[in-house]
Amino acid sequence: MMGDMPASSSGASAPGEATASSASAATGADLADLLRRSARGDEAAFAALYDATSRRLFGLVLRIVRDHAMSEEVTQEVYLDVWRHSARFDAQRGSAMSWLMTIAHRTAVDRVRASEASRRRDDAHATTHQDVEFDTTAESAQASLEAQRVRRALTTLTDAQRSAVELAYLGGYTHTEVARLLDLPLGTAKTRIRDGLIRLRDTLGVPA
Amino acid sequence: MSPDLHHLSGAYAVDALDDAERTSFEQHLAVCADCRAEVAELSATAASLASLTETAPPPSLRASVLTGIARVRPLPPLSEDAGAPAPAAPAPTAPAAEVASVESDDVEPDAGGSVVPIRRRRRTAWFAAAAAAAVIAIGGIAWSPWSDDTAGQSPMTQVAAAADAQRVASTKGGVTTEVVYSKQLGQAAISVTGLPPAPDGKTYQLWYVGAGGTITSAGLFGVDAEGNGQALLAGQAAPTDKVAVSVEPAGGSDQPTTDPLVVLPLA
Repeated sequence: MMGDMPASSSGASAPGEATASSASAATGADLADLLRRSARGDEAAFAALYDATSRRLFGLVLRIVRDHAMSEEVTQEVYLDVWRHSARFDAQRGSAMSWLMTIAHRTAVDRVRASEASRRRDDAHATTHQDVEFDTTAESAQASLEAQRVRRALTTLTDAQRSAVELAYLGGYTHTEVARLLDLPLGTAKTRIRDGLIRLRDTLGVPA
Repeated sequence: MSPDLHHLSGAYAVDALDDAERTSFEQHLAVCADCRAEVAELSATAASLASLTETAPPPSLRASVLTGIARVRPLPPLSEDAGAPAPAAPAPTAPAAEVASVESDDVEPDAGGSVVPIRRRRRTAWFAAAAAAAVIAIGGIAWSPWSDDTAGQSPMTQVAAAADAQRVASTKGGVTTEVVYSKQLGQAAISVTGLPPAPDGKTYQLWYVGAGGTITSAGLFGVDAEGNGQALLAGQAAPTDKVAVSVEPAGGSDQPTTDPLVVLPLA
């Protein structure tokens, strides 16, 4: 899991020092420990967790939701859920970062589908494809080492796989919508998504 | 495992299934360890993509989050007897499963009196954490047209008397919950059987969960010694609302502080 494997060699920093840096500065063990302390009501631990993860979490939510105010709202909702359910994080089932991002992704996707769907979809056909593709120049300036690793790994995917994975995960589209956006036969996008993720997993070496 | 379902693992991991597919795949996950393992890996893989979009949130958000959590008590760890259906799963997140397991075959009568399926319920943000943690979802809601009315002017029958009354019911862990809703009246009533009285110092509270995730109290709720209770939900019910029941401190809460025991769509 990515949170467990800082791509950098920066190693573990004390939880409190993870402030505002990339999430990869805190190891998965750090994050898991912060979650355990949060479960006991330790607000300082939760603040450290927030500092270590909020850039990544907010960035993902913003990418999916687009609207800044709504993204803040969703992010706050996610952290509240994380706080409330922190005792239920199970390190055996995955890394803390993966857990957080799963919750964030699900919440963001459900939100856009529930309340913003029509407006967002209306202009989606015209603009989304280019929009969702990575803006490499803008992002490279602040790319973390992990981001560089992920970007390299993405080059091992076929174009169709990469587009499908990006539209689904970063765009928040259903596989049916992905198929439409990419002019794929209905039903094939889910295979592209899975094949792409598997290749990405194998390249990145994400542990079970 | 079914090859068809297995192919959904990637789309499930990135939340790219529609509600109906998600529900059926989660049922499959409950019995397929291979798919659970694959979903865990692919979810973690997908999460790494978020490293490409890191964006610093505004500083004010930090304050809002920390103020918000200060008012909420973290839920206790899971207990063993919460009814996880998949013993093979490593450390099953049982109560999360319980929360996430609200699965419905929502139907509503059409003009001709037959029934047609409508869109499945959506999870709200309230349940998102539990849903994400639980790849296990078992449970069911049976719906039947309102045709077997019984006597009495209970809250249930008041609402049920409306021409457009609809009923949604669910049974889980010995607790049967029914909600009757009339769009014309804008009212809903709930009936519960088999629910133990709330512990000392606690009460049951009813909630409307709106389509946008807003949660509004619909009043407090109690059961008799036999575990039966009925109530008319306070306030105006909207067709897209869901009804939820949670345990709250005596006197009730402004917003739920515990996971819902049950969630039912109104229509």
